Amino acid sequence: MNPKTTGMIANSLANIVLKFMAAYFSNVKSKQAYLKTVDGWMDFAIGLTTEDGAVKQSIRFKNGKGSVKGSIDNVDTLLTLQDTSVLAQLATLPPNEVLNLMLKNKMSSSGSMAYLEFFNLLLSVMMKDKQIKQMKAQKAEREAFGKTMSDEKVPEGPRPRKQFLKASEVDAGVHCLQDDPYLSTYAIEDFPRLREYLNYHHTGTPEVCTERAALLTDFFRANGFETKNDGTPWIPEVRQGKAFRYLMENRKPIIRKGNLIAGTTTTKTVGVPIYPDAIGIIFWGELLTVQDRMLNAYGPLSDEEIYKINNDIFPYWVHRNFREYVREKYDEPVCQQLDERWAAIFMWKNVALSHTILDYPKLLKKGLSGIIDEIKQELIDDTEAPQSKVDFLNSMIDCYEGVIAYARNLAAQAQKEADAETNPARKAELQVIADAVKHSPEFPARNLDEAVNAVWIHWVSVHMESTNAGFSLGRMDQWLQPYFEADMAKLTDKAERDAYIKHALELIGCFYINCQDHLPLTPDIGNYLFGGSSSDQAITLGGITPDGEDAVNDMTYVFLKVTEMLSMRDPNINARYNSEKNSMTYLKRLCEVNVNTTSTPSIHNDTVVMASLKEHHYDQRDLNDWSATGCVEPTISGKHLGHTNCMMFSMVAPFEMAMFNGYHPLMRWQLGPKTGEPEDFKSFDDFFKAYTVQLGLMADLACEYNNYLGEAHAVIRPTPLMSAMLDGCIKKGIDCTKGGAKYNSSGTACIGLADVVDSLMAIKTLVFDKQVYTLREMFDAVKNNFEGQEVMRQRILTEVPRFGSDSDEAVTVANRVTKFTRDHFWSHLNYRGGHYTTGWWSMSNHVAFGTLAGALPSGRLASLPFTPGLTPEANASKSLLDNIKDVTKLDPENMNNNIAFNVKVNPSPKDSHEQTVDQLCSYAKAYSSLGGMQMQFNVVSSETMRAAMANPDAYRDLMVRISGYNAYFVTLNKELQLELIRRADFGM
Amino acid sequence: MKTPLVLEIKCNSLDDGPGIRSVVFFKGCPLSCIWCHNPESKRVPTEISFDEQSCIGCGTCTKFCTQGALNIQNRYYIDREKCNLCFKCVEHCPAKAITRVGVEMTHEEILKKVLADKPFYDISGGGVTLSGGEATLCTEWVGRLAQMLHENGVKVLVETCGFFNYELAAEHLLPYVDGIFCDIKIYDREKHKKYCGVYNDRILENFRRMYDDREKYGYSIMPRVPLIPDITDTDENLTAIAEYMQLVGVEKTDLLPYNPTWYSKNDKLGVQLSGELEKLTGWQSKEKTEHARQIFLSRNIKC
Repeated sequence: MNPKTTGMIANSLANIVLKFMAAYFSNVKSKQAYLKTVDGWMDFAIGLTTEDGAVKQSIRFKNGKGSVKGSIDNVDTLLTLQDTSVLAQLATLPPNEVLNLMLKNKMSSSGSMAYLEFFNLLLSVMMKDKQIKQMKAQKAEREAFGKTMSDEKVPEGPRPRKQFLKASEVDAGVHCLQDDPYLSTYAIEDFPRLREYLNYHHTGTPEVCTERAALLTDFFRANGFETKNDGTPWIPEVRQGKAFRYLMENRKPIIRKGNLIAGTTTTKTVGVPIYPDAIGIIFWGELLTVQDRMLNAYGPLSDEEIYKINNDIFPYWVHRNFREYVREKYDEPVCQQLDERWAAIFMWKNVALSHTILDYPKLLKKGLSGIIDEIKQELIDDTEAPQSKVDFLNSMIDCYEGVIAYARNLAAQAQKEADAETNPARKAELQVIADAVKHSPEFPARNLDEAVNAVWIHWVSVHMESTNAGFSLGRMDQWLQPYFEADMAKLTDKAERDAYIKHALELIGCFYINCQDHLPLTPDIGNYLFGGSSSDQAITLGGITPDGEDAVNDMTYVFLKVTEMLSMRDPNINARYNSEKNSMTYLKRLCEVNVNTTSTPSIHNDTVVMASLKEHHYDQRDLNDWSATGCVEPTISGKHLGHTNCMMFSMVAPFEMAMFNGYHPLMRWQLGPKTGEPEDFKSFDDFFKAYTVQLGLMADLACEYNNYLGEAHAVIRPTPLMSAMLDGCIKKGIDCTKGGAKYNSSGTACIGLADVVDSLMAIKTLVFDKQVYTLREMFDAVKNNFEGQEVMRQRILTEVPRFGSDSDEAVTVANRVTKFTRDHFWSHLNYRGGHYTTGWWSMSNHVAFGTLAGALPSGRLASLPFTPGLTPEANASKSLLDNIKDVTKLDPENMNNNIAFNVKVNPSPKDSHEQTVDQLCSYAKAYSSLGGMQMQFNVVSSETMRAAMANPDAYRDLMVRISGYNAYFVTLNKELQLELIRRADFGM
Repeated sequence: MKTPLVLEIKCNSLDDGPGIRSVVFFKGCPLSCIWCHNPESKRVPTEISFDEQSCIGCGTCTKFCTQGALNIQNRYYIDREKCNLCFKCVEHCPAKAITRVGVEMTHEEILKKVLADKPFYDISGGGVTLSGGEATLCTEWVGRLAQMLHENGVKVLVETCGFFNYELAAEHLLPYVDGIFCDIKIYDREKHKKYCGVYNDRILENFRRMYDDREKYGYSIMPRVPLIPDITDTDENLTAIAEYMQLVGVEKTDLLPYNPTWYSKNDKLGVQLSGELEKLTGWQSKEKTEHARQIFLSRNIKC
């Protein structure tokens, strides 16, 4: 059949399908109901076309009636399909596969994503049964594939108790745990309460919670969003302050069953809060099917919840979110289009501006009332404050009064439950909670229970204000130590002191568990882009004090013990190891916890991280007080809005554009300038130059979009609560989204470094040095995924010195690439007046970006994952030491948003626990003495991972380090699982 | 001075002595144990190896072979009768499926390679292990290497079968060695001859002398017993070895449970295995290893 005929048939087919859909929702009352919101009918139009223009159809809904037109003019969202074959797939695939079509650039969308998601819901209303059937088939297929990975039998009975070493020395800062700082006598078996929570954590199903979104939507609908009811415009900060207060006053006060801490993030046991002001709407299309999706399913939503979200909440936010704000104000700029093609950048700024660490010591020392006093004092002191500052400071007071109201409700609830409780032990616990929360967070904390409750209640509050993505807790061991020590000082009897240590472990254990009472709302596409991630609430331990002294203390070891016992993916534990000040006793304990948990904590070489931040010119005391945010990124605690994960940036997409003269093959887009045909490059430097031009363009676009989105945050969701806890905002009277914090920056994560360096080395070695191939021959082979060119590919694999093979040449190229990238990002100022920083970690986007890239001159075939973080490619060397040597030779100044260096080690079963720990310790120590920045061990064998694919239920708690964050292996998509198995496996 | 060929320098080894180590494997061994785990290390001269798994079947090698020694019909691909070891095919194989086994390296080249990992030895208490084949085969040359490593502050461990000229070793090698692993495989001299190719008188004598001289030269020494099913792991043999160790004064030994992973290596070298080896394809059972341990423990030898 000739293409023209095919096109015509496809066009009529699309017309028929859309007409059917229009009739379905116009005529069937129960279906039409989906279109009727509390504010009236959803009126919108979706266009459908193909790249060749053969198909041009649109479906329009107005006043509850659908119609179809043979044109794509004036639509809200336009879907462009690569060709007519995609059309057939579109009609038959389940919703996650439809998203995959978009992910793989077989289909692109322009215009409102909100209407697209609503359109997806309508499709799901029509096709629900079929979709669920397909999803079940996908699940069965996954199970069947898993079974092929291993035939290992799952051992029966409870697992043996883990082994624990006893500390051989006591650090100077350890004052209460002198007997054994490692706390080796405790294990999870001694804490039935934590054991039970942990079981639920691994087996319970999270549920979507509408509380936050519903209360806020109610407030704004009653009081206006852009303008007040009297028609005057709202000042965004003032509006958010009032709305937040309303939310906090009306939230349900809950004390989780058996818990030692008051307050919950949602009304569900494990809840998924919705942030429709951010990216919540992307979930619209899955409302009916989320319980059946293959990966990370949520519990089914009730009819009432579906109605609330579909007909009430989401319609209100169609235009009131960051993404659509930018689209409407800047007319869908190229930078936004680029983000929505997935292959080159992923902007976390669409989701959140959360990656930061607040001033918790201030909260503990002053209490909420003290913070309000500080704000009021500023209003008195600054007699010349502009009205904007007065308004802003008052919005902060609104926020804090809201938190106080919530805390008082919690205290009352705890008292009520204490009074009603009949079990005396639990009654006493509830009374402790009630007493603690009556006092703190409102007033300064006086003991560890008050301090932990105060931090938690504030933590919950922060997540009510903005998205649960990467907010981090900072140096909890430092900040809680005074309370622990004071409590212990009151006890003289050994039995009492031992009991209190156990209480402290259980209290911090509850805190960890509570940090997992909420999960980010992950649309199914997210399971492929950043699989298995929770919200990455980083806690940082150890290092040095602001004065520069050894900071390791009792609470450092308490946190490490809890980390070891619970082995949870989140909070994400980061340990600062300062080789000048911290002891080997501490480092050894970090390694032991890593062995026992398989993947945490990640270890940061303190002095090198600080050296990487030189050009920020932070005050020395502030710099000494840094802690990790999200995955690994350095933030100045309590003083710094460094949105350290504003974007994930593919290093490979511009490389492909440099190979193909500015054209990106998968996106089918001549996006970059024409930097040359292969013959135009006379030297390696010529080609390198072309790469930097394309890279520069992509970085410019990404920064441009980030700045637009930053502006959107300031308008849609400024954060007065967060601002009051970031040094600088109160004095300046400026919200942190607008640059109020003392320090400002934006952090990037650049992905695929090893792939780019190895590709450059292949070009350098085989094209320019040895002249075995011409550049065109090589790029042609790459274009054809090396088909018929296996000899070339083998020569690349065996003859080219790779990054991670102890190759000074490759390291030189790597430093050249990182320096250019860092300098280019640094040259941009963000919308808050801060610099862009450059990080080399990847979450799991190395898999997603890899899926969306063709073959590379490195010999990597099309669609395979890139290497994670800046970990060398698996075949670079047989020796881990070569990997370590090359990674440590990278210049830290080019890595000022940190790195993630993954090392998978596989302990020999014949080694004792202590030998294994000592070996890990040797690697960590050597790595840091050579100047390495950060490293994270995966102490798990390929066999175990294969067995987990075959028997996922038996391995629900198997934790792995992806790149900067932890995840449970069985929750990952298949590609990521296979990537982890493929990663270099260094036997120990 | 006789110069040995180097098979491989394996970095980041955790199994060949304390800490993180580099292991230099030399080619050639005076013994010819039928279960040898490194069959490529048995013979002294250079060999050629073919790895079927890596071969992409591009046929490049055949274009460079002047002897007609390469044939896909041949189970081992390379006809070693015809091959004149010109290594042209090795040079041109894009996948490195055909490789040269054994290369000459100078002391300086070896030193450069292993000193690159010195920070790891220092922190972990590791160093360099000289192994084989038989590390002492070119005693003077290897002794000189040990001396140079010593001068560079690297701890040296030697793995040996014990079959060497003691006087030569005492003069050139032992003063520069920090540790020795010496295998005691079979006590009965006839059986030793049958399975290892030589009588064991010299081995037992050398071990005793090394043990006695340990303080003089300042090394530690550990005897190791490979547990080969039905050959070395018989009660009779292990009892005899344990009694011998008692006489020498040994307090601790290492038992090495058998592992069959070496089996497929022979194909690469074109070596046909004899029928007697058929039963050696399984793994050592935990029970048998434990039984062996008890024989030594009951004679106050830790293991």
